[in-house]
Amino acid sequence: MLKRALAIVAILIIGYWLAQGLSQVPFGQDKMLVSKYYLDHVKEQTGAVNAVTAVVVNYRGFDTLGEVTVLFIASTGVGALLWRKKRKRTAKTKGSVVLTTGSKLLFPFIMLFGMYIFIHGHLTPGGGFPGGATIATAFLLMYMAFTTYEISHKGFEVTEGFAGMGYVLVGLIGLAIGGYFLFDWIWQTWHLGTSNIGRLFSGGFIPVIYTIIGIKVGTELSGIIDNMLKEEVKE
Amino acid sequence: MISAYYFGAIALILIGLYAVLVKKNLLKILVGLSIMETGVNLLLISIGYVSGKSAPILSEGITPSQAVDPIPQALVLTAIVIGVATTAMALSVAIILYEKYGTLNIEEIRRLRG
Amino acid sequence: MNQVASLLIALPLISAFFVPVLKQINKSLIKPYLVLITLIQTGIAGWVFKEVYTTGKPIIIYAGGWRPPIGINLYIGHFAALFVLIIAVVSFIMAIFSLKAVTTEPIDKYAMLFLLLMLGATGMIATGDIFNLFVFMEITAITAYALTAYNKTGEAAEASMKYIVLGGIGSSFFLVGVALLYGATGTLNMAQLAELANSINPIVAQVGLALIIFGLAVEAELFPLNAWAPDAYQAAPHPITAMFSAFVVKAGIYALARLLYLLQKASGWSSILRLLVIMATLTVVFAELSALRQKDVKRMIAYSSIGQVGLIALAFSLGTQAGVDAGVFHMVNHAIVKTLLFLAIGYVGIAMGGTTMENFEGLGKKMPLTALAITVAGAATVGVPLFNVFWSKLRIILATLQAGFFWAAVLVLFASVVEAVYYFRLIHRMWFMGGGIRIKEGVIAGILVILAAIIILIGVDPAPVWNIVVKAGSDIFNVANYVKNVPLVGVGS
Repeated sequence: MLKRALAIVAILIIGYWLAQGLSQVPFGQDKMLVSKYYLDHVKEQTGAVNAVTAVVVNYRGFDTLGEVTVLFIASTGVGALLWRKKRKRTAKTKGSVVLTTGSKLLFPFIMLFGMYIFIHGHLTPGGGFPGGATIATAFLLMYMAFTTYEISHKGFEVTEGFAGMGYVLVGLIGLAIGGYFLFDWIWQTWHLGTSNIGRLFSGGFIPVIYTIIGIKVGTELSGIIDNMLKEEVKE
Repeated sequence: MISAYYFGAIALILIGLYAVLVKKNLLKILVGLSIMETGVNLLLISIGYVSGKSAPILSEGITPSQAVDPIPQALVLTAIVIGVATTAMALSVAIILYEKYGTLNIEEIRRLRG
Repeated sequence: MNQVASLLIALPLISAFFVPVLKQINKSLIKPYLVLITLIQTGIAGWVFKEVYTTGKPIIIYAGGWRPPIGINLYIGHFAALFVLIIAVVSFIMAIFSLKAVTTEPIDKYAMLFLLLMLGATGMIATGDIFNLFVFMEITAITAYALTAYNKTGEAAEASMKYIVLGGIGSSFFLVGVALLYGATGTLNMAQLAELANSINPIVAQVGLALIIFGLAVEAELFPLNAWAPDAYQAAPHPITAMFSAFVVKAGIYALARLLYLLQKASGWSSILRLLVIMATLTVVFAELSALRQKDVKRMIAYSSIGQVGLIALAFSLGTQAGVDAGVFHMVNHAIVKTLLFLAIGYVGIAMGGTTMENFEGLGKKMPLTALAITVAGAATVGVPLFNVFWSKLRIILATLQAGFFWAAVLVLFASVVEAVYYFRLIHRMWFMGGGIRIKEGVIAGILVILAAIIILIGVDPAPVWNIVVKAGSDIFNVANYVKNVPLVGVGS
């Protein structure tokens, strides 16, 4: 009881202090400094219409590399912690008829939708991460519908490794061609698609990177689901 | 005094912090951590809002002076993924804890560990 | 040519992604592969160190080719060059140690996590952008969560869970601090933040800076947020504990110091400094007192490590150039000493089957080289003259007295006395109690002897290392120089 009261008092003090700080950052006011530059120059410097995507992949692409690494660590960590010599699924109830037929039917469409999201990342909201998550959802549906469905673990791990290497390779090619790590060589050196702003074949290396990220995230999240749904087989 | 969005974000952070500090079930603590991270993301996006402007997608009709700040949205994309990674890791550790100690109550675990 | 230094980040990353493919080719290649990659990283780090110290100019890497503040830049100045080299060397030694010390499956995932821990700490030290610092901090933290629980025992899982909860709260508060600073200035680049620091609203500056310090204090193991540290150090695999103590916590302290000094023009700075002095002194006192009661040697050394880290934080929070220089010197010395200690204790752990006090009895007769190395390191930590830590501890205490914190200096001296008690108790147990037959000691003992020799060398002649350290210290303290070195493009309109 005392612990609860102390916690509430402490939390209210922290909340009041945070509110004090935030009251000096007025809501709705234009405080852009670097963003102004981004918005003015995004179309001709990166070729993307979606300013957020250009910031994520091009201007601040280094952060996205770190983010992809974080997801990779999560997938590896889950695999390391839940590792057993032999594992298999222990679900007992098969899904209902609606679930089993529906998931088999919808599987290709969900994959297609996910691919649409990450291929059009430079034109519409979305990008690699929501696209990859959608693809993983397709696999999750299959897991929930059938009690013996499982993905090929080896194949997914190797795909994940190759996709990650692909991202770093794109950066290293930028180092080789343009002299800077993660330089956008497609847009700035080869000038591919400069007349196409607003259409699909533009955006420099943004679609390429987002495709790599989409594949990586999809396989990673499916790997995490697979690791968590299996239990040890004791001989 | 402060806008409703800031207030909502701070409230989420405090509710999450309360759950982490007071609750005894491990899964409730992890849900609290997740709520806290959601509150922080909401706060980040609210800071980037400019009144009267719309989404920073510069297709036909939207000029650069009519767009909201794109940087906080990029930051939140990264922060959400990091939150997911932390939650996934925490849940695997919770699975191991349950296998070893048979309970998810943190006081029981501390007692069993000695 | 300088941009090739970005290989410091790209190399561990691409090699970590290659491990799943390597596993399909041949599983027994993984551990030697780890040694190879850390060796290459040491080579690159050595080249960067030579470049920065012979030309005197920092290497600034522009990621994506964009000039700051439009893009993210990495700032490898004197401090970063020194520490990236230390990280690479310690990782190389620990990779060699992992060949024998880590046998829990799955070993391929261990190798990936090892490389990414090294990458996270390197990135934290080299970055020049505050959100990039957050991303690398999370890479380091999440890898540490996984590696703490790697042995999959009950204790390891509980230690990891404590770490996750505290780390999660810390990083959320850090992000709120970043949000406040961004809302007040509009930029995320560290050099530009330093430029705009005195125009930030005072309340926002104080709240923002306090939140960032709070968030970093979890990684930097300061009181009262270091409850996770002793358990995590004890439960993690032996090479990983050495890495935690040698560079992960240092990266956290460095980030703390860097952000603190960058924002020194912001109002309310001195009150935050005072708060940090109190936290650091409390860290030292509580850690050393807890170490006295421990029966497991690894846990005892973990508490000692936390105490020394508190000392480093105290040096940084004095706000003077002398304090910062002393702090950096102690960082270097502490990295060497704790690498030796945890390497030796891990070696005894796998040779004797455990790390409790009983396993160390008669070590002088069973493994004399190892016992000698532990003796040297123990005497060094206490601060005996002719060993390296004596010089750095002396300078820290002098700087504390100069800055006027008399009570802190007294408490630190008291903590050193407590340290002497438990270290000499261990040394007594090793040489004067129990007996046994001589065990063959391999390559690891050779590394231990080399490290012990370095400790004595720096103790006898600290001048060359001190010159390097002074340059590194002025890198942190002299913010005007830092801002001048970063070619900021004007963005406002």
